[in-house]
Amino acid sequence: MNNLPAALWSESLKARRSKVFLVSILFFLFVGVMMGMLTFVAKHPEIAGRSATMGAKASALGKADWPNFFALLIQTILALGSLGYGIVTSWVFGREYSDRVIKDLLALPVPRSAIVAAKFIVVAAWSVILSLALFAAALITGWFVGLSGWSIELAQQAFLTYSVSALLTILLCTPVAFVASASRGYLLPIGFVILLLIITQLVGMALPGLMLYFPWAIPALYSGAAGSALPSPEPVGGIVLGLTSVLGYLATVAWWDHADQV
Amino acid sequence: MPDCITTDRISKTFGGVRAVREISLHVGEGEIYGFLGLNGAGKTTTIRMLLGMIRPTSGEAYLYGQKASPKNHDLWNRVGYLVEIPYSYPDLTVRENLEMIRRLRSISDPRCVDSIIERLRLGEYADRPARNLSLGNAQRLGLAKALIHNPEMLILDEPANGLDPEGIVEVREMLRELAAEKGVTIFISSHILGEISKFASRIGIIHEGRLLREVDTDKLESQMRRRLLLSTRDNPKAIPVLNRAGFAASALEGDLVAIDDGKAVMNPENIASLLVNAGCPPVMLRVDEEDLESYFLRVIGSSGGTRQ
Repeated sequence: MNNLPAALWSESLKARRSKVFLVSILFFLFVGVMMGMLTFVAKHPEIAGRSATMGAKASALGKADWPNFFALLIQTILALGSLGYGIVTSWVFGREYSDRVIKDLLALPVPRSAIVAAKFIVVAAWSVILSLALFAAALITGWFVGLSGWSIELAQQAFLTYSVSALLTILLCTPVAFVASASRGYLLPIGFVILLLIITQLVGMALPGLMLYFPWAIPALYSGAAGSALPSPEPVGGIVLGLTSVLGYLATVAWWDHADQV
Repeated sequence: MPDCITTDRISKTFGGVRAVREISLHVGEGEIYGFLGLNGAGKTTTIRMLLGMIRPTSGEAYLYGQKASPKNHDLWNRVGYLVEIPYSYPDLTVRENLEMIRRLRSISDPRCVDSIIERLRLGEYADRPARNLSLGNAQRLGLAKALIHNPEMLILDEPANGLDPEGIVEVREMLRELAAEKGVTIFISSHILGEISKFASRIGIIHEGRLLREVDTDKLESQMRRRLLLSTRDNPKAIPVLNRAGFAASALEGDLVAIDDGKAVMNPENIASLLVNAGCPPVMLRVDEEDLESYFLRVIGSSGGTRQ
């Protein structure tokens, strides 16, 4: 694609220079560390003392060992990833409008589709970095806490499931980009992301049979985090998720190419 | 002189509001076309249509004979632009903002960034984040982005906004030089006729979405209204004397009498003699020429529109 490297260079520079980039990484690291700390409390319930809330949260982890810890990590990336990647997408696309710089990108010898593609590549790379930061922080804290039940095979399997969960969630960022572009800002898409997160939880709890057809619930089915009693995600879930992602991408490109940019 | 900018009855309607109504423009190579109008007159909407940022509801805009469309990528190599307040990426420095445009415009020589920084006198601020720039320097950065690739055409929306008087003169001279020496075609919008008339070769006045008038700047003066203003010790007596002599005289505020008559303006001494002979000699007599702003307001006022 024409000028994609230049667009990619520009988009990555904008991302790297923003405070949002550093803050998001620090936040994901913090969550990883906190997960490890919570596991430590689960292992040593006397630390929670009389704090019923902390004790309840720690006990919800179940047994403080690596299998439970990895399961928690996968659940966390499904929820936190949806939110975090969604916010990153909202910012990458919406800031062009909020900072009123979009017009600099509209009458250039670069196809607008190349700029959109570069933005998606940056969103994906940024999201991968966040996912790795969370995993690494949690892993290191888990080591320090001294969880039992470690094995390389378990860690490899957990990392594979974690990665697939993260990547499937990243694929679902394209509709968020469309909402950010169409609403010309980042507030509405962030609201959209939160709404999706709530609906996903409701579908999972109240209408588990529909999870296969609700794109944002499908990563949970793939990861197994939704429970083994639920339907297998293949192939319908894959098609639904893939279609959602492709349609979101095409809608975003179409918006940039054809909508009035006032 | 071939047309570089052509619009064929372009109109734009936003949710029932007609922002631009059937505007046809023809701007030749090397011409500086001043597009004059009040805020909300439709200048920016027209410029956005010229740049392919919005689609006309009807009609078409062409640059160098090609439809002004985002799909005509090569066309934008020939055009530099600045639309409204030139915001830049606030976290990036002046140099980084320009480097980004250099790459997106596929300019192979990286020295063009330093060169444009120097040309727009941004050297002192080159490594400062754009968020910390004054409005005037932000405007300079916007102009730098428009000029970095030495375009054949410049489309500028109120480029003097935020500049101090020295900056305004500097930009004016730079644009004049670009048009005169390099044949750059310049389409520039403004709401200040006095400023734009100093360097535009032709001016189009837009009001409430309509192009009301186009005038060559060298013929602008002939369109200014001139009148004779006088004062006597007894104006109520002087006015009938003037009227009887065939001069349409009217009383103005401040003990003044105005005569809108070419003969009176050309020969004020005849009026003086007439009044002296009638026993009401003038104590003040002068030719009053309409200024550019009054002319502009008269043109848009006579369209039936109101000042916004």
